[in-house]
Amino acid sequence: MLRRNIRMRREYLYRKSLEGKERLLYEKKRKIREALQEGKPIPTELRNEEAALRREIDLEDENTAVPRTHIDDEYAHTAEKDPKILLTTSRDPSAPLQQFVKELSYVFPNAQRMNRGGQVISEIIESCRAHDYTDVVLVHEHRGVPDGLIVCHLPYGPTAYFGLLNVVTRHEIKDKKAIGTMPEAYPHLIFDNFSTKLGERTANILKYLFPVPKPDTKRIVTFSNQSDYVSFRHHIYEKHGGPKSIELKEIGPRFELRLYQIKLGTVDQAEAQIEWVIRPYMNTSKKRKFLSD
Amino acid sequence: MADSKDAGEEALRRLIATFQPSFLAPNPALSETSRAASRHLFSALRPFCPKSPLDQLLIDGFDAEQIWQQIDLQSQPLLSSLRRQVKHFAKNPEEISKLKVVPLGKKVEKEQREDWVEESDGFDEELEDDEEGEGKGGEEGMDIEDEDEEQGRESDNEEESEGEDEEEKGEDGEAGDGGIEDKFLKIDELAKYLEKEEENFEKAEEDTRGKKGADDEENTEDDDDDDEEEEEEEEESDEVSVLLGSIVSDFVLLCLHRMLSLDLAAKMQQGTWKMQGMDLFYGVFLTLEHCGWDEQFILLLRYEDFFGDKGKYSKKMKAQLHQESEGSDEEDDDMKFKKQNKGTASTHQKQLEKIHSKIEEMEKANLEPKTWTMQGEVTAAKRPKNSALEVDLDFEHNVRPAPVITEEVTASIEDMIKKRITEGNFNDVQKAPKLPSKVPREVKELDDNKSKKGLAEIYEQEYVEKEDPTSAPLSFRDEQKQQASVLFKKLGLKLDALAHFSFAPKPVIEDMSVQINVPALAMEEIAPVAVSDAAMLAPEEVFEGKGDIKEETELTKEERKRRRANKKRRFKAAAVKRMGKKVQEGALPNQMNG
Repeated sequence: MLRRNIRMRREYLYRKSLEGKERLLYEKKRKIREALQEGKPIPTELRNEEAALRREIDLEDENTAVPRTHIDDEYAHTAEKDPKILLTTSRDPSAPLQQFVKELSYVFPNAQRMNRGGQVISEIIESCRAHDYTDVVLVHEHRGVPDGLIVCHLPYGPTAYFGLLNVVTRHEIKDKKAIGTMPEAYPHLIFDNFSTKLGERTANILKYLFPVPKPDTKRIVTFSNQSDYVSFRHHIYEKHGGPKSIELKEIGPRFELRLYQIKLGTVDQAEAQIEWVIRPYMNTSKKRKFLSD
Repeated sequence: MADSKDAGEEALRRLIATFQPSFLAPNPALSETSRAASRHLFSALRPFCPKSPLDQLLIDGFDAEQIWQQIDLQSQPLLSSLRRQVKHFAKNPEEISKLKVVPLGKKVEKEQREDWVEESDGFDEELEDDEEGEGKGGEEGMDIEDEDEEQGRESDNEEESEGEDEEEKGEDGEAGDGGIEDKFLKIDELAKYLEKEEENFEKAEEDTRGKKGADDEENTEDDDDDDEEEEEEEEESDEVSVLLGSIVSDFVLLCLHRMLSLDLAAKMQQGTWKMQGMDLFYGVFLTLEHCGWDEQFILLLRYEDFFGDKGKYSKKMKAQLHQESEGSDEEDDDMKFKKQNKGTASTHQKQLEKIHSKIEEMEKANLEPKTWTMQGEVTAAKRPKNSALEVDLDFEHNVRPAPVITEEVTASIEDMIKKRITEGNFNDVQKAPKLPSKVPREVKELDDNKSKKGLAEIYEQEYVEKEDPTSAPLSFRDEQKQQASVLFKKLGLKLDALAHFSFAPKPVIEDMSVQINVPALAMEEIAPVAVSDAAMLAPEEVFEGKGDIKEETELTKEERKRRRANKKRRFKAAAVKRMGKKVQEGALPNQMNG
């Protein structure tokens, strides 16, 4: 098992190194394809290789056409398998934090909640890999208010670190009748305003926590980005009259997520490469937006 | 009635005459006196309030709160009507002279005013007696000494100063009336003010009970009315002075009475007073002092106010006050006195004074070292301890603050969600299409219909298939397979033709193996499926040319040259012909474009 892991890691690194060349090739093929489609002359720098590349283009199918980046390779097999999530907290959680984690376990379908106890993070990750979990989600708090969320994709996957703000839990709403029960159907997802590459990456990380839904489900989970603060909302909708009338009923917790780091390794790998980290001390950081345009 | 009236007056006089601090201790006799005095005052006012429900103040068996409310009941409408009247008179001063009833009425009013002032005194004391903090507790006026200065007081104070200002203007308009009128008005006002201060002090004493009456308002109204009354009175002429004179004498009596009761001589000996004919003030001051005010304080303040040598004494006095009085008041007083003393030039001088004092302050501040907040970069060592906590520090935050989730934000998010739902535009995880790992099994469909072919025909078909496999008709059930086989047959035919163009018979392979069920004769068709043109043509049809064909290598040098020259000639001719054609063609398109 250990050797297999090492081998797989090496393979991964090799493919990462090949990626640059592949990207170049992909670009050339793309240019030729465009030129052919529009009927324009082929760019002069590609004249020599044009014939060979043209042949390759003809033989391509949709899998090989797209260049595989190592980054999203992590999610290559997710479409075939439903995600399996483990939810846990930091050590010694307070009661409100436990309640919040319980709510989150209902939000993510196919999620399992576990008491933290005195386990070390590396143990948790090892056991999850062994039991075929796809993701581990850790929730941290400050004096009862949840303030941190760590999403770790499992086999060597990326880890995203979020800060939570403006958390409103279901437990805070005293009127139990008004809020009702939480349905457990697989939800539809809405990701709004994730336009940059980093935004797409974050959207993917959050998206692959959910399984493939049925097309007619009434449950909606929304991640809406507004100037780098992502609002999480959870609704149920009903169509009463004609097509225009849609009534939304909010269930589930609501909070704002603020991404501050993405690492290209699991949580227990402290020395993993950092894909992106927030830099609030830069002079222009107030003007810049990283998840949208 | 007269008896009771006298008794009432007597009670009032006695009340006034008592030693002020004695009010602090509960005293049933004093309480009785106060009640009698209140009743007297009430009945005195009764003729002026036609709408009052009570004919007489009911005091037997009522406690202070109830008595107070009765008085309140009577005086409220009275105050408003008086205010209206005063305003009316303020607008039309000539009407005042038309009031023929003026002297007595005025006197009564004046008395009433005094009474009110004293009434307020009385009630204060009464309430003290009954140990209720309510009542005219929250007396307005200048809060010189009291630490617990309330804003209400300040505003009232300002009102009073405004009143004084108005008075001043009145004074200016009427400068001809002589010193006594000015003084009188000053005295009156001052007396009232001092009365208030007394009450203030008393209130401070009873402040331990921590109650503040709602009577502030009424007192304010009182003062307002008083001020306005005074103003109104100013605008009168001779009648007023007579009246005022009489009232002055009353007041003087009062003050002298007080002075005599107190140790006047001792005070006079202190010698910081300059006798400038302001003897009347002494009594009042002494009363105040007797109430326990700080001597120094009173003396200094009053000295400054009334003798107005601002230049020499103002700063010293100010420095010695532990709490400065309202600047406006002082200034007002100063202004008045200066006007009295020096004339209109003093305003300018006073302004100059102000400016000079400000300049000096600023110059002094400039010479001193700056506060730490103004010193640029300051470390913790250079500023006093915990001073950064008190200062309002302001610095730029380089992080966009967290969004506040308002109704509009929520509504906008929900709108977006609704739009997406109606469009059906979700960002769900897509399932990848699975590549088929197994060949789909061919499902044999059983056909219920009766076979169209007879049994004999079926046998016939089978026989034919066995004999000649190629001629068997297509019997595939699958459409696609059928089409595929048709295509392949066509392809096979073409491939055979290609193969037959260069026909080579099949090689004989000697094979010594036993084969069962082989037909006796195996005839091979040697007729070609397709023959190319080349094979069909006779040689002379293929070749055209003259005889004596020589190869390149057999030619001599001249022969080779001749051949080359011929070739060139032919080529050139062909080229010319081609050019000619092109010119023709080129002309046409040009014409079309043109």
